[in-house]
Amino acid sequence: MSAVLQLDDVAIRFGGVQAVGGVSCAVEAGDFVGLIGPNGAGKTTLIRIIAGLLRPDRGKVILGGIDVTGDPTSARVRCGLALTHQIVRPFREMTVLDNVVLAAGIGYTSEPLRALLHVSRRRESERAAAILASVGLAGTERKLAGALPLGQLKRLELARALAVSPKVVLLDEPLAGLNHTEASKQVETISEVHQRGITVVLVEHNLEEVMRICRRLIVLNNGIVIGDGEPREVMADPVVHDAYVGGGMVTHAEA
Amino acid sequence: MSAYTISIVSIIGINVILAVSLNMISGFCGQISLGHGAFFGAGAYAAALAMFATANVPLAVVAGVIAGSLLGIIVGFASLRVRSDFLAVTTIGINFLFVGFVRKQSWLGGEMGISGIPPTGLGAAGNMVMILLMACATVALSLYVSRSWMGFAFRAVGEDEQAATTLGIGAGAYKLAAFGIGTALAGLAGALYTFFTQFITVDAFDFIFSVMLMAMVVIGGIGSTWGVVTAAVGLTLLPEAIRFVNDYRLLVFGGMLVLVIRLAPGGLAGLTRNLFDRVRQA
Amino acid sequence: MYYIDLAVTGISFGCMYAMMSVGLTLVYGLLRILHVAHAAVFALGAYATVLAANATGSLALGFLAAIIVTPLFGMAIYRLLYEPLLGYRPDVPMIASVGLLVLMQDAFRVVFGEQGVTFRRNAFSFTTFDFYGVTVSAVQIALVVTAAIVFLGLHLFTTRTRIGVGWRATVSKPRIAASFGVDPIKVRYLNFAIGSALAAIAGGLVALLNNLVDPAIGFVVSYKALAIIVLGGLGSVRGTLIASLVLGLVEAYGTIFIGAWLDRDAIAFLALIILLMIRPQGFAGARAA
Repeated sequence: MSAVLQLDDVAIRFGGVQAVGGVSCAVEAGDFVGLIGPNGAGKTTLIRIIAGLLRPDRGKVILGGIDVTGDPTSARVRCGLALTHQIVRPFREMTVLDNVVLAAGIGYTSEPLRALLHVSRRRESERAAAILASVGLAGTERKLAGALPLGQLKRLELARALAVSPKVVLLDEPLAGLNHTEASKQVETISEVHQRGITVVLVEHNLEEVMRICRRLIVLNNGIVIGDGEPREVMADPVVHDAYVGGGMVTHAEA
Repeated sequence: MSAYTISIVSIIGINVILAVSLNMISGFCGQISLGHGAFFGAGAYAAALAMFATANVPLAVVAGVIAGSLLGIIVGFASLRVRSDFLAVTTIGINFLFVGFVRKQSWLGGEMGISGIPPTGLGAAGNMVMILLMACATVALSLYVSRSWMGFAFRAVGEDEQAATTLGIGAGAYKLAAFGIGTALAGLAGALYTFFTQFITVDAFDFIFSVMLMAMVVIGGIGSTWGVVTAAVGLTLLPEAIRFVNDYRLLVFGGMLVLVIRLAPGGLAGLTRNLFDRVRQA
Repeated sequence: MYYIDLAVTGISFGCMYAMMSVGLTLVYGLLRILHVAHAAVFALGAYATVLAANATGSLALGFLAAIIVTPLFGMAIYRLLYEPLLGYRPDVPMIASVGLLVLMQDAFRVVFGEQGVTFRRNAFSFTTFDFYGVTVSAVQIALVVTAAIVFLGLHLFTTRTRIGVGWRATVSKPRIAASFGVDPIKVRYLNFAIGSALAAIAGGLVALLNNLVDPAIGFVVSYKALAIIVLGGLGSVRGTLIASLVLGLVEAYGTIFIGAWLDRDAIAFLALIILLMIRPQGFAGARAA
């Protein structure tokens, strides 16, 4: 099976609201998938389920062929999933380099005993510096992460995600809060990540950019998948169009 | 060396072990524990019982370490469940429960404590040397952990648990590890204390003592091993140094605690760091 | 009858815990500080009541003195100790707070003596009433009545007056309150003033109950109050009130059942730990105020 990430009839209900109502999809290795949908469509909930922050009522989350539905986030990261947060969460009191070194040390830190028995960070430091350079953060290594502006923090977030050597990265609104120049630079970096053979799942509001770079689009509305396929074809579908232009506004008002 | 010096040095050694081990839990891993006295006490009582049963020193040490870490891992599991601001109060609770429980147990000597504990056979000076060796080993371990990947991961968990999780670091496992190591060392300190006094009462392990240990960590500078060692030595000697105000010891101690924190909230470590920065800039 | 006696004891103690804990939970709700030195405020209130009552010969003036002195002291603690430490980890101001408590406790001992002070003339402490075989002391009645008045007053204050509403809003939703023009600094002073005054009343009543104030008066109560505010769901006045009453009753009855193997003063923490294991988010959950 070549699917790196697979959802199998995932559903969750909050009180009386069916937030996600049976989503199934498979992301193939090397794919570049955009996950979109109007506000209240269940995107955030679905991300939280994939990340392991929420446990679905039914269905399975499968990473690289392994069922991780009951596993915590950290175990999923070890299975090859990397995440970036919508709101950046660097370790503010560590240097930029240390933030990435820590991620690069996943081979040690995934096991407390192994972490206790290893000290040297040389290899990880070199790798971290290379990753920082590749996302355009060369020169900031020694600064405290808390001192970086938002545009750079978003890239640090990406650098940390790359440092865990993922098979698939889940990017939660990596462009939010960035100005136009910063956003296009970030998009460029994300494309480079994909070219390196890492599968990308991008959740983004910026439809224009999503249409430009994604190879496949999954559209969510009211907790179910209403469109899945080549971006232009999907957007041409009247159902998707209605959800976005017509019904989308109504959904928004209700949410 | 006079008997007085030997006893002071022994107490300093025990307090260094306690403060450094608490620093691993609260400083390195960010889990506020205000009940360190309970783990210390569990180790002391277990070692006392083991001495009565076997009169074997290494066995009593092992008993103390196991008792301390066993209780510690239970509290560690609690720390996985409760919100971080509840943890401080939970650990205070553990301390009061420990004291309240032991006080009513006749098999633990109740209010009167346990006296006439068999000696180690090393003599006061020999005990002191053993305590100092253990204290040095504890400091070395703390310095090592701080440099290892484990210390790195501890810092991440202490700063932002969720962010640590997204880097593949299982926050729960690390919290348990911190509690396990820190409280095992507290149990060790308890065993050494039993060898030192041969007489224990539960009042030695009360909440006020736990606060005193936390004061050593905060005054030393949370997370800094050397700062904490310095503060542990200083705060142990302080009551001796101010014997001339014997009647006002607590008054002076409380006042100094307030003043030091008010004037240097980052502790000794923060103070020296600031000085260093200022010198570098000048 | 014995069981009813226990209920009376439990409820009156619960009322005392409630008045003691409210200030603590509000400080926590507002500043996220465990205000351990609140116990010193409680003790100061008790001393002020006794000393002023002895000086003037009037119990009422004693209480009046207490509720004038303690708010000033409470606000001074905020201004001089907590405000400069707000930017640090919460354990830093807490340790400072513990230091202040140790300092104050010993200061009371040095100034007023190890033995403490007693009321010179005070028939009130020894007055009891008999209701069909149930003995109730005047102080117990006073505790319950005062607590009822205090909490009713607090309720009216936080729902009917502008500043009271602003206060409550600041505790639960600080940003929103600030955007509606509530001055957060003023709210903090108000918070310390009212919390301290309530603790002082509780302290004065405990002094009456024992007819004695000694340096250790605030000690155990203060740590119990920490358990209570967590049980009550940190920052919640109603939760604190319920937790206090429940604890008073559990302690009263618990002494018979588990007193043989556990100290009375540890019961609060046993309850706390059991509760937290079942409901890690506390009694009242995440809801505040």
